[in-house]
Amino acid sequence: MKDYILKRLLLVIPTMFGITLVTFLVIQLAPGSPVESMMSVEHGVKSDQVTQEIVERTKKLYGLDRPVHERYFVWLRQIATLDFGNSYRDHRPVMEKIVERLPITVTLNVLSIFLVYLIAIPLGAWSAVRQWSFWERASTFVLFLLYSIPGFWMAVVLIYFFGGGYFWDVFPIYGVHSRGWEEFSFFRKTADFLWHLALPVFCLTYASLASLSRFQKGSLLEVLREDYVTTARAKGLSPRRVLFKHALRNSLIPIVTIVASILPAMIGGSVIIETIFSIPGIGRLGFESVLARDYPVIMAVATISAFLTLVGILVSDIAYAVVDPRIGFEGKS
Amino acid sequence: MKKLSRPLAAGYVLLATIFVLAGCANVECHDRDDNASFTGAGENEVFVTGGTLIREIGQEPQTLNPVIATDVYEGVVNGGIYERLVRRDSRTLEFEPLLARSWEVSEDRLSYTFRLREDVKWHDGTPFTADDVIFSYNSIKNPSVAAAHLQSYYKDVTAYVKVDSHTVRCEYSKPYFLAFEFCGGIPIVPKHVFENGDFNSNPAGRSPVGTGPYVFERWETGSEIVVGRNPGYWGDSVYLDRIVYKVILDPTVKLQLLRKQELDMAGLSPLQWSKQTCDSSFGGKFRRAAYTVPGYSYIGWNSKKPYFSDGRVRRAMTHLVDRETILRKILLGLGETVTTTFYVNSPEYPKDTIPWKYDPARAKELLDEAGWKDTDGDGTRDKDGVEFRFEFLLPAGSETGEKISTILKEELSLSGIEMTIRKIEWAVFIQSLNERKFDAVTLGWSLGVETDPYQLWHSSQADSGSNFVGFSDPEADALIERARQEFSRAERVRMYGEFSRILHREQPYTFLFARKSTIAAHRRFHNAKLYPLGFDTLEWFVPAGLRRYAN
Repeated sequence: MKDYILKRLLLVIPTMFGITLVTFLVIQLAPGSPVESMMSVEHGVKSDQVTQEIVERTKKLYGLDRPVHERYFVWLRQIATLDFGNSYRDHRPVMEKIVERLPITVTLNVLSIFLVYLIAIPLGAWSAVRQWSFWERASTFVLFLLYSIPGFWMAVVLIYFFGGGYFWDVFPIYGVHSRGWEEFSFFRKTADFLWHLALPVFCLTYASLASLSRFQKGSLLEVLREDYVTTARAKGLSPRRVLFKHALRNSLIPIVTIVASILPAMIGGSVIIETIFSIPGIGRLGFESVLARDYPVIMAVATISAFLTLVGILVSDIAYAVVDPRIGFEGKS
Repeated sequence: MKKLSRPLAAGYVLLATIFVLAGCANVECHDRDDNASFTGAGENEVFVTGGTLIREIGQEPQTLNPVIATDVYEGVVNGGIYERLVRRDSRTLEFEPLLARSWEVSEDRLSYTFRLREDVKWHDGTPFTADDVIFSYNSIKNPSVAAAHLQSYYKDVTAYVKVDSHTVRCEYSKPYFLAFEFCGGIPIVPKHVFENGDFNSNPAGRSPVGTGPYVFERWETGSEIVVGRNPGYWGDSVYLDRIVYKVILDPTVKLQLLRKQELDMAGLSPLQWSKQTCDSSFGGKFRRAAYTVPGYSYIGWNSKKPYFSDGRVRRAMTHLVDRETILRKILLGLGETVTTTFYVNSPEYPKDTIPWKYDPARAKELLDEAGWKDTDGDGTRDKDGVEFRFEFLLPAGSETGEKISTILKEELSLSGIEMTIRKIEWAVFIQSLNERKFDAVTLGWSLGVETDPYQLWHSSQADSGSNFVGFSDPEADALIERARQEFSRAERVRMYGEFSRILHREQPYTFLFARKSTIAAHRRFHNAKLYPLGFDTLEWFVPAGLRRYAN
């Protein structure tokens, strides 16, 4: 097993190399440059600012006048020392910008993923057992209805009805804490924070609920048709025992694969939800950086999420082998 | 499937309810004179210090370093922190002293001497001297400083020198009517803070040290920037203790925060202005103001393309744009149609020029006259074998641009012209303009109070300047050049009047609208006056009984 993990870890290096190369090229070869995106103001463009001269001079300042391959190697050399460079927009170190925004996005997504699993697995199992009943169909209907409502629309409707101003003033709609948060007690701080996260977490959660619970339902139904379940029933085990001891546990194995997508999703976050609820997270940073062609930040966010994806895949492969003894490492490596 | 119909019906009812309820809050505003409510303070009012203003900014400033910043929000936040040598009076828009006590202009109008105040201190206690001004100027000129956007203003400055510890002199190589504004308007940063290390990444870009009435307090990335009253300010103290600038990207959230009174001042969208903030519950808490900011939107026709090289064709295009209807229906009346490139409320703007009317019949005549006729009978006009088919470029996310282009496309097809619309993302859009790769384009310019049309309209700027439509007219060139060296404003107004007539005749742009900014401000702020360019929150105060937030 150690050999296997080591081998997989070594494979990460060339893969990362390939990913960064492609990302770098795609970003740099896309039309437009950081200079053009700096030229906009609220009501248009300053009339004396759209000149080739300014573009050239700024490009030179950031070294964008040099050929792409040269720039890639410069970047690679920096990255080897874990230096992601400085942002073009505010000249701050990229790592500093990312670290500043990481905690809130991770919290938001961990909470939402946790809730999705907490609700979707029992719900899926229940739907499998009570298949075709009225309530099962009703819940399916509601889930699909939710699934097809776009997040931004849901967010706006929730804000309209529960954000105060028109109807019920139940939830805060701005940021992650109230005014004067610094002076609150620890307990009140936590409560205030969670209260602020209620609506955004709901918006991030509801759509994934449908897909994951369907997945769980399908998986459990398949297991329930297996011979060993029939055997267990034939032996006279109680339905409860058959379900929980034998079927449910085995039906969870495919769910493990999804673990691979959790890690990168944690920092990918949701641009739209972060924007609407004014949460300064990493999704917004990435999105704004793409629009501004802030190459160092885009590359850093892309590299980190690529790395997390690779780690996620590795972890899920290992987890697979751990939960399912039928899978060994020998065949895989 | 029959069983599903019950929840489905319930779903429809729910949705219908949502829409009906959402519609309830919409009350139309009818001919209300909102601006009149900004009267300033009453006669017997006592001005008191204290209180907090929470103000919305639509985007986070990238940096608060005034030399390298390129966005507008830096100016909003830094407005109370940094000061310049001179500033424009809010009411008259004339220059008045600020960090400079007085100034002198040489006979030949080439050298400008500013005498600085001696009682000014930076927020960290260091005295402000001529060295700071010179250091700031040198930083702008330094190629390793990210200030390319400012460098172009100081091209004709031959020297900016220190005369003594509190006197500086700015020298121009040729007379220029904006020289005073550029010399006196240079952003000034503290030398002792910025001189060490890299200028661009200096930490003061995140925690500015200025000389102004407000001192920087904190910046929470992505959410808010807070400034507090400067107790040691050299000038007349301001009244509000604290100003919080909140970054709010979503317009719905913004309006709702206003309604909850968690926000005191914010810009409103045209729809919010004309439909969603007219009810008495909103009006009881907020005053609203609409004012025209210097700038305008337009459609630019690339005169290097065969279709738009002829002035008659360009005028025909203008006749096909129904500006009145667009203004009423799309901008909900928040703006006015303009005819030239100057700020609509300045003397340079010729009030007597009437915009070309929407007149498809006249447009067809002009097109025929210019030789664009449908000779091959395919329904599209052509000339010398070139079909009148062009692409209309607009930046993605420009809602008004999108609506205008759709209307125009329809209108043009009725006159035998085929137009395709291409929306591209901002960075690519500006690149296409700089490379002159477009047929027609819609965009807006933001202007200064006084502008020099040189960058936009002089033929020398057609290759690599802002004159990307390639406008070139010897008569216009001569007027622009002469006006640059004319120091009497009345005389310049006359020259620009003539220049505007050329623009009106040639229609290198179809000038669209000068838009209005619409803003709501909480009623508890007193002495709020509306000036031509908006508010000056430095004058505001909150009567003691009306304060809302504890500090």
